[in-house]
Order: sequence, then C-alpha cells, then structure tokens
Amino acid sequence: MNTEQLYQQRLARYVTAMRNEKPDCVPIRPFVAEFTAKYAGYTCQQVCHDYNKAFDAAVKTAKDYGWDAVVPNMVYVWTGLAQAAGLRYFGIPGIGIPHTTGFNYIEPPEGEAWMREDEYDELIRDPTAFLYNVWLPRVSTEVSRVGEPSTYRNNLALVKSSMAMLQYFYAFGPQIQRLRTEAGTVSAIAGIFKAPFDILADKLRGYIGLTMDMATQPKKVLAACEALMPHLCHVGLTTADPTKQVPIGFWMHRGCVPFVNPGQFDSHYWPTLKPIVEEFWKHGHQTLFYAEGKWKHHFDTFRELPDRSIVFHCDRDDVFEVHRRLHDKFAISGGIPNVMLSYGKPEEVRDFTRRVLREVAADGGYILDSGAIMQDDTSVENLRVMTDTCREHGVYCSGALLPLTAMPPCDVPASIAQRQQLTGMTGRPAPRVKPGVCLPWEEKVKELPEISGDRDLIRKVWEDIEALGNTYIWQLLLSF
Amino acid sequence: MIDMKPLYEAVLKGDAATARALTEQALASGMEPITVVKEFMVPAMDEVGRRFECNEYFVPELLLAARAMKAALELVRPLLVKSGVEPQGRVVVGTVRGDLHDIGKNLVAAMLEGGGFEVVDLGVNVTPEKFIEAVKAKNANIVALSALLTTTMPAMRATIEAFKAAGLRDQVKIFVGGAPITQKFADDIGADGYSENAPGAVTLAKVHAARAA
Ligand code: B12
Repeated sequence: MNTEQLYQQRLARYVTAMRNEKPDCVPIRPFVAEFTAKYAGYTCQQVCHDYNKAFDAAVKTAKDYGWDAVVPNMVYVWTGLAQAAGLRYFGIPGIGIPHTTGFNYIEPPEGEAWMREDEYDELIRDPTAFLYNVWLPRVSTEVSRVGEPSTYRNNLALVKSSMAMLQYFYAFGPQIQRLRTEAGTVSAIAGIFKAPFDILADKLRGYIGLTMDMATQPKKVLAACEALMPHLCHVGLTTADPTKQVPIGFWMHRGCVPFVNPGQFDSHYWPTLKPIVEEFWKHGHQTLFYAEGKWKHHFDTFRELPDRSIVFHCDRDDVFEVHRRLHDKFAISGGIPNVMLSYGKPEEVRDFTRRVLREVAADGGYILDSGAIMQDDTSVENLRVMTDTCREHGVYCSGALLPLTAMPPCDVPASIAQRQQLTGMTGRPAPRVKPGVCLPWEEKVKELPEISGDRDLIRKVWEDIEALGNTYIWQLLLSF
Repeated sequence: MIDMKPLYEAVLKGDAATARALTEQALASGMEPITVVKEFMVPAMDEVGRRFECNEYFVPELLLAARAMKAALELVRPLLVKSGVEPQGRVVVGTVRGDLHDIGKNLVAAMLEGGGFEVVDLGVNVTPEKFIEAVKAKNANIVALSALLTTTMPAMRATIEAFKAAGLRDQVKIFVGGAPITQKFADDIGADGYSENAPGAVTLAKVHAARAA
C-alpha cells in the first residue's frame, strides 16, 4: 500500500470511529507534544523555538509508530510569535525557565489578573475592543495602553507578531500535507474552541479571581460568558474542517465539579456552552470534548447533546464508566493514563490497553489515546507497546467486511434530520459588533467620501482584511 | 460570654468580613485567642472538610471558607505567638521543582492552617534544598509536596531522597498529592501519606500529630 492509500484507509478508519461505528480496526490518535522531540532526537527548546523542527518531529514520530491521526504540532506555542508580542503568560525555554523543558504557561497572582474584577462591563460591551484596548497591553511587555503614547516597540510588536502569526498559520497547510504524503497520517482536529467560562478563567480573571466573582458578581460573569459566546462560536466555525471530517478541538479546563459547584455548572458553564456545540453541529462540525481532569459529574448533562455531535475524550475519568454512560450516543477517545505511559511497566500498559480494547472498543466508536497530552516524560517503549497491542488486538472481525468510508459524522442520515431541528445560537441577542469584525464597515464608510462603482467589492475587501485583525486577537486569546 | 456560633457559621459560609468582625469582638471581650481557634475555627474548617468529602461543598466553597478563616486568623495569630501557644505541628508546603501549579497546593496550605497547623508555604518550583532549609529553619515536622504534572512527579522522589541524604528523613513525615499522584506512587517513592484532596491532607497531618503526641 502506498502512503496515499494508507492515508485514505486511516482517514476512513478514524472518521468511522467518530461516527460511533465500527471500522476495520481501532484507530490510534495520540496527542503527543514534547514527546515528539524526545523521540525524534530534538530538545524541547528546539521544538519550541523552531516550528520546522517541531513539524519534522511530528512527522517522524507519526510515521515510525504508524499512527492513524496526530495533531500537526502539539507543541503549538511558537516562541517566535510569543516573543514578538512580548506575551507575559509564557515561560520560554532557556529564557528565565530551564532550556530543558517545553514552553510553560504562567498565571499571574490573583491581584494582577489580566482582567480586573471591575472590568466586566467593558468586556461585555465589546469583547474584541476590550481585548485590544485593555487585555493586550496588559499581557504584553511591548504594547502600549490606549491613551498612552505609542512607542517604537509597540509598533514593532504589533507588526512582527501579526506577521509571525500568519507565517506560522501558513506553515500548517504544507505540514498537514507532509503528514499525509510522508507518513500517511491524518491531521486529527481542525479549529479551536474553549468554553466562555473557561476562557474567563484561563486568560482573563484567573481561576481564583473568577471563583471570587462567582460569589460576589455572578450576574456579571454570566453576562460576560454570554457576550463571549458569539465570538467564540465564530472562531470555532471559521477554523473548522471544511470537509467536516475531523472535529473542532475543545479544551475543557476548569468548568467541572469540583472546580465549580453543580449550581455554577448549571447556571453558567453549560448554558453558555451547549448552544455553541449545537451550532457547530448544525453546521456539520463535531466537537472533540477534550475533558481534562474528571467530568463524571456531568455525563448526564452531556447526554442532552445530539447523538454523534461530540467525541468525548477521557483524561482522568474511569474510561470504563465513560463507556457505560456515553457510548450509545458518542464516540470516545483516550483513557490510557499518562502516569502509566510514563512510569508504568510495559506489561501494565499492554494489559490495560487490552482491557480498554476489549471493554471500551468492542462495538466500535473508540479512538486510542492517552488521557492528557504527552510531554517528554512519556516512555518511547510504552507508547510502542500501546500501539502494537492495538494493532494486534484492536482488529474487528465484522468491521472489516464493510467498505470503509470517510463519510462525515454529520452526514449519517439520522444526524441530518436531527441537525435540522437544533436551535443552536439562533434567537440569541446579536452583539453590538458582529463576530469576525473589529471596526464595522458601517462605521468606517461614514468617514469615507462617497463610494461609486462596485460597492460590494469595496466592502468585501474591507471586511476580509478587517477579519485578519479579528483573527489576530482571538487567536492570541484562544490558541497562544 | 458572647455567642460564637455566628463565627463558626461565618467561616462555614465563607463570609470573611463577618468572621473578622466577630473575632475582633470575641478578643475584645476577653476570650483567649486559643479558645477562638480551637472552639470555633478548627471545628468550622473540620465541617468544611466534611462537607467537601460528601459532595456538599466544592472547591469554590473551600476557597471562600479558607479566606474567611484566614481573615480571622490574622487577628489571632500574633496573639498566639505572644502567648507562646504551640501549634499542632509545623508543616512546610510547596509545589515541587519544575512545577508552577499552585491552586491545589494553596488549598492544602489553607486547610492545614485552618486545622490548627503552622504552615510555611514555599510557593512553587521549590527545589529539594529549599524544602530542607525550611524544615531546618522552622523545625517543621511535616512536609507536604504537590505536583500536577507527570513530568514533575520524579521531583517528589528526588525531594524525599534529598531528605534522606541530609539525614532528616526520620525527623519529618512527608505527604504527597496533586492530580496525577496515586497511593501506589506515594508508596513507591517512600512517602508517608497521600490524599486525593485538601481535607485529606489535614486528616493525614492530624493522624501524624496524634501519633507524635
Ligand atoms: C490550572 C492549570 C494550569 C495553570 C496553573 C495555574 C496555577 N496558578 O496553578 C497554568 C495555565 C499556569 C498551567 C500551566 C501548565 N499546565 Co496545567 N493545568 C491546569 C488545570 C486546568 C487545572 C489544575 C488545577 O488547578 N486544579 C485545581 C486544584 C484544586 O486541583 P489539584 O491541583 O489537583 O489539587 C487538589 C488535589 O490534587 C489535592 N492536592 C494537591 N496538592 C496536594 C498535596 C498534598 C500533600 C495532598 C495531600 C493533596 C494535594 O488537593 C487539592 C484540592 O482538593 C489542569 C487540568 C485539570 N483540569 O486538571 C492542567 C494540567 C495539570 N496542566 C497540564 C500541562 C501540560 C501544563 C503545562 C505544561 C502546559 C504548557 N505547555 O504550558 C504548563 C506547565 C507549567 C508548569 N511548569 O507547571 C496537564 C498535565 C499533563 C501531564 N502529562 O501531566 C494538565 C493535566 C492538563 C491536560 N490534561 O493536559 N496549568
């Protein structure tokens, strides 16, 4: 089989499992981050600073292990971009933190959160403007505050970081192609999404700050989550896979019990998340619920979502329980403990993987992976054992008889009907400035002399470029 | 004698302002500082822990209660020191080398304080040497190590080894915790105890304190 045939076979295998059906065998989709450096002979510092090395490492690792799908670069923060923007929330290997680790997110102390407790109204009024005017100058060592004199370094930082972002994004197309032609491996996810409540904790108020706000100003928090919804939904939809085969990555950080209490989950986290996931599904996109930590308190709530609309990824939950509670509705991934993959004996890995294949994968709808992303502590040998065990014991006898197809999960007839009935984001109040735009054309046009000729063309070009400004700030917030 | 039930309630509800005001009143009315701690704060934090264990309280309630307790304790602590009252035990707390996660560790520290222990919090990214120094300087008898990353779990082992090398291993009980840690791992590295949550850390420390007494 040549690599393209291999690619087609793996794509069909992976997508079939995500349709919650039985492929020919269990697909393997490990989220390997700094592990790729260790395996491919690079340092963590190298893959962080030089994304071409990270790309090489990802291709080599996927190829040698023969995996079905991987993320094109799970060491996703490129320090070139982070440094150009002067982002304070990263520790960069070799600069202030040891050169031997990967990049490190850093959270400021409570009183120095990137958004202050009295800034909710400003965020709610216009989230995009808030991010540019308040948030960016605060998270950056370079960018000047609005009202303060602009500086040489401010100008440089904005130009350099936005060009760096484009350069980096444009590099992903060829990298996805390399994975396909050199390794026959599928790019596992497309697009980025985080829940409104999570993003408030992650990059704005911090977990402690948000927890305090939930006690003192819960209505403001809810309004902020609601104000973020259309924008986060827009980012998800515009970065998703146009062929609808692979899901949108949704990184679930701190919305689960016990980080929040059940009442807060019901009043804030879920009502501002569910409509977006439904909206994605209405458009044909699955969401990968990358459920970091333990989410067992919320399995019944997740069941409110339409069949197949999500793939549930299991980190530290009991994967056998996940299977019992969710398998009839959604495909499942993950569940192999990172601690075992790093420090366990090969026999343990083999036995546990076999048990997962036997009990969780039996009826299809399962994708093999570890619980959390794999850093350089993961054992090369144990990942080999996990992979080999799956290739040996993860073969379906009946599945192989059916022709494998890569038909997107949304095109399953039962799903088509269901998707048409979804409410999603419909009926929600429109934001003051529509998602994807910073400075609306309607405002800009007032400043311009009368326009003649092809008005639509002029408007479209304005809005397309405008969208770049929007992409920059929301991607900084969500991806970097 | 003033009614101190409201102080207990204020800590339980996480109402820092009330907790502080009531403590002020109690001290002004001549109540012994140690009585305020023993009769009200410690029982309140015990109850917080109990409620957490049986899923009535969650991390937000834990955080709020810990803050209320801290607000009250700030008034009492200097008086305790002056009167020479010995704490239940002295605990050195920290997140191990290479690891910057501190939300769980801070909760552990707060619950231990609420449990009547003197806590020395070394923060995050703490080297074995710093743990040892602090134990020596404070004459601590308990060390609580936190790690949230599989990559930093080995730093726990290294810390325990360093205590052995320094000849201090028998002088302290070492407890470990954090999301990826298991009882088995704790046993493997020769720790004296593990718990999956912050109230559990207090139980461990109390059992040890009772044994040591
Ligand atoms: C918040 C968070 C962060 C914040 C930390 C902010 C802070 N001030 O702590 C930030 C954004 C900075 C961060 C950074 C990183 N993180 Co992080 N983070 C998390 C997250 C979302 C929650 C952790 C948390 O705060 N839990 C809340 C507290 C209350 O729980 P807890 O810590 O477990 O504590 C409880 C118990 O464990 C126990 N306990 C804790 N300590 C002790 C000690 C003793 C003695 C006892 C008895 C009990 C005990 O009591 C606590 C309360 O009951 C987890 C994912 C998740 N949902 O779990 C990832 C997670 C831990 N992070 C992860 C990673 C990979 C990272 C980074 C490497 C990412 C990166 N490349 O930058 C960096 C590393 C930075 C570093 N060097 O440490 C991974 C680890 C994967 C792995 N293989 O181990 C996780 C699991 C996410 C994932 N699924 O991929 N992170």
